[in-house]
Amino acid sequence: MSAVATADQKSASQAQDTDVIIETRNLGKVYRDFWGRKKVNALKALDIEVKKGEIFGLLGPNGSGKSTTIKLIQGLLFPTSGRAFVFGKDARDVSKNERIGYLPEESYLYKFLNAEETLDFYGRLFDIPASTRRQRTDQLIKMVGLDRARRRQLREYSKGMTRRIGLAQALINEPDLLILDEPTTGLDPIGSREMKDLILRLRDEGKTILMCSHQLADVQDVCDRVAILHQGELRELGRVDSLLKVRDVTEVHAKGISEEVKQKIVDLIKNSGGEVMSVDNPTTTMEELFLDIVRESEQRPGARFGSK
Amino acid sequence: MRIERERMWGFFEWLFQQGGLLSGVLLVVLLSALAFTVCYLVAMARYGPGEGFYVVTRVIYELFARDLPNTSCKRIFAFAKLAFQEAIRRKVLAVMAVFIVALLFAGWFLDPNADYPAKLYISFVLTGTNYMVLLLGLFLSCFSLPADIKNKTVQTIVTKPVRSTEIVLGRVLGFTFVGTVLLVLMGLLSYVFVDRGLRHTHEAEEIAADGMSGTTSFDSHHAHTFNVNPNAVKEAATDEKKGHRHFVEITEVNGQRVYSIGPAEGMLEAKIPVFGSLKFTDREGKEADGLNVGYESNYQKYIEGGTLCSAIWSFNGITESLGDELPIELTLKAFRTYKGDIVTGVQGTIILRSSNGRVESERIPFVIKEFAVDERRVNRKLKGTVDQVPKELDLYKDIAPDGKMEVIVRCSDKGQYFGMSQADLFLRAGQNSFAWNMFKGYLGIWLQMLIIICFGVMFSTFLSGPVAMIATMTCLAIGFFGGIAEEVARGTTPGGGPVESMIRMANQAGAMVDLDLGNDVLEKSIQGVDTGIMGALYLLTMGLPSFNDLNTSEFVAYGVNIFEGLVARHMTMALGYFVLTAIVGYFFLKTREMAA
Ligand SMILES: Nc1ncnc2c1ncn2[C@@H]1O[C@H](COP(=O)(O)OP(=O)(O)OP(=O)(O)O)[C@@H](O)[C@H]1O
Ligand SMILES: [Mg+2]
Repeated sequence: MSAVATADQKSASQAQDTDVIIETRNLGKVYRDFWGRKKVNALKALDIEVKKGEIFGLLGPNGSGKSTTIKLIQGLLFPTSGRAFVFGKDARDVSKNERIGYLPEESYLYKFLNAEETLDFYGRLFDIPASTRRQRTDQLIKMVGLDRARRRQLREYSKGMTRRIGLAQALINEPDLLILDEPTTGLDPIGSREMKDLILRLRDEGKTILMCSHQLADVQDVCDRVAILHQGELRELGRVDSLLKVRDVTEVHAKGISEEVKQKIVDLIKNSGGEVMSVDNPTTTMEELFLDIVRESEQRPGARFGSK
Repeated sequence: MRIERERMWGFFEWLFQQGGLLSGVLLVVLLSALAFTVCYLVAMARYGPGEGFYVVTRVIYELFARDLPNTSCKRIFAFAKLAFQEAIRRKVLAVMAVFIVALLFAGWFLDPNADYPAKLYISFVLTGTNYMVLLLGLFLSCFSLPADIKNKTVQTIVTKPVRSTEIVLGRVLGFTFVGTVLLVLMGLLSYVFVDRGLRHTHEAEEIAADGMSGTTSFDSHHAHTFNVNPNAVKEAATDEKKGHRHFVEITEVNGQRVYSIGPAEGMLEAKIPVFGSLKFTDREGKEADGLNVGYESNYQKYIEGGTLCSAIWSFNGITESLGDELPIELTLKAFRTYKGDIVTGVQGTIILRSSNGRVESERIPFVIKEFAVDERRVNRKLKGTVDQVPKELDLYKDIAPDGKMEVIVRCSDKGQYFGMSQADLFLRAGQNSFAWNMFKGYLGIWLQMLIIICFGVMFSTFLSGPVAMIATMTCLAIGFFGGIAEEVARGTTPGGGPVESMIRMANQAGAMVDLDLGNDVLEKSIQGVDTGIMGALYLLTMGLPSFNDLNTSEFVAYGVNIFEGLVARHMTMALGYFVLTAIVGYFFLKTREMAA
């Protein structure tokens, strides 16, 4: 944010041509208390790029700095070091918000409004003409399955219902970039499934999605690339499939086989020199990866995972 | 009714000659500089001196280059609508209920037997409405934004393409709208209350044998008498009681006279005053300051009876449009050095004189009774002198051919005094509609509310709800007591400032005696400290809106038309504060981390 910053901005706008939607450079955040004393170093020198049309996941244990990153990217927090760019504009530039949809960690909506009024209000903030607003409101309410509760004030909503209206609110402007902070928390299994389907569908429509979650199955299901944070540090960054493929583990999903057949398969693996690790219902490998990273990170702070 | 000199200023006189514009501009510059400095210090502590400066200047740049040009009325309106919905759903209307209950209760306590019931009723409802609406504005504006930040709903807002200007303006607009709706409701309710409290009529009773005079029935704690003019037997008017009279219509039915008495007249009025400038002469008739009889207030000056002491009002714009009977209203105060005759009051005379002093009317006598407004109607045909030669005069052609006239008031009773200020004698240039005056009174309340809301919203951009409320209330209080601080700072109040008053209290010394501590240096330094304290306070009051000045309900209650110049000035002031608080609010909002 000095003379250097203008040069930064130029290169960032060049980055726009190469379809980088979000870019963070050396992004860091130190929370301070009222007197300016340092309290938490929530994020340290984060460098990530989110490209157009991908689903990017931020992963990490509680308090690892996921929400902090998202807030920095939206200009809700001011970075203590580094910068963040969205659509090539500085994170604090208001005009970038035209193309962003944001679902906060909890749906921070006005409890005294009902679903229709809520969507109408946020639609107005985008200067959407009245007829379009009405049409989209209707369509989104139906999409998130709140048709029967559309006239009820949000204070009466359950957690999952609030989540759903929060999502609808994030989509009111048909955003190019969707930022979702833990999209599936509070949703029932069907809702969670629908949310994931929606995320994939939006990606297929060419939109970019940045989400954070500790529902590892969710991340594994939908994300193209993930960044794993621990204590404010980037631990791992890469494509989900390659991150998971590094392990020489074969997973067999089968249906309708008897105990004998199962035993036969185990024997076959043993005979051909393999090693049977487990024959339980398979655990999500993302979870294992995650646990490994956290474990290792605690033992060897400061180093990237896998580097020996 | 007290009308200070400042309130008579015309709008442009205030704006240009009395420094209205200048102090406004100065205020904007000073406050902006203050806000800038505060923000810079905060930013410097956070980012270091160079970076901090950059951060703050960028905010200013963004205001003019990005945020103002991109501010959208639609979004402001969206926020206003939200604020309105919030107020309605949070049951602000409960305030209304409190008001109604208060009104009903007040009906019990207002003294219907008062001398001027209209004044009492109107002051009551206007004062009640005023406090209610200010309180409402205070609560609405101070807690909304901090609540949004606390609930984090603001995070959903600022991640939309919303400018900080819109958040501030939308809030102000929305709360003002809520306040306006309530004010209108209260106004209608008050009107019904006043109307029902004052409306009454009488029956004719005790008609004299010749049918030319009578007494009315005793209703609403009073009765009138009336006399019928033998030349016009169809109509008559009663005497004036409790600030009003009734017209009596006289018809003949079967050879019998029937007297029907109409509704109260003159209770609700809005006199349009023409003020003159006031100067005094001393006992020898030379120009001088008026006398001080030892009252604490300097508002009125006194003239001594039975001497050449006089008070001279000079008027401009005397034309025939004032009517064949020039109405002169007097609210002089009698100060008695001996008891005298309480019932007949203190005598005085009025002389009308041309501006060159050559044409003079004869003496027109009047009597000042305690606590009464006296109205003298002077017929345009009157006796007088031209260069000391007696002559029949015409008021407009002979005394005021150039539109200028002097009114000279003397006290005739030796040893008695008349007290007066500029506003205590005026010519009545007709009547304005009472409803319109009432509306202007409500407009005054509305402007106060607007200013409160502006301050509340401004403080709430960087303080938590309760703290913002205390800050706004402090501004309000300083605004209310501004007059006192000013007088003390100027050293014109007896008794001195806070420290001196404290010492006087401890020594049990009165306010009028000199401060005597036996040590000149000590006395001087105490007074110096006081001047310092009150000077600082005075500066503060200069910067803060004077709610006393904005409150024009007294005009309505006393039936004096609220000067259009005053209304225009108040509107300009409110606009000024609106802009000022919006800028400061924007500044703080813009530099605030919404998620921290
Ligand atoms: N407003 C704040 N003031 C001070 N510290 C904060 C603030 N917000 C977050 N933190 C701290 O910053 C760190 C990162 O918090 P953050 O909310 O980014 O975590 P997260 O990864 O989103 O966690 P979760 O999975 O629980 O949502 C935590 O140690 C947290 O205590
Ligand atoms: Mg979080």
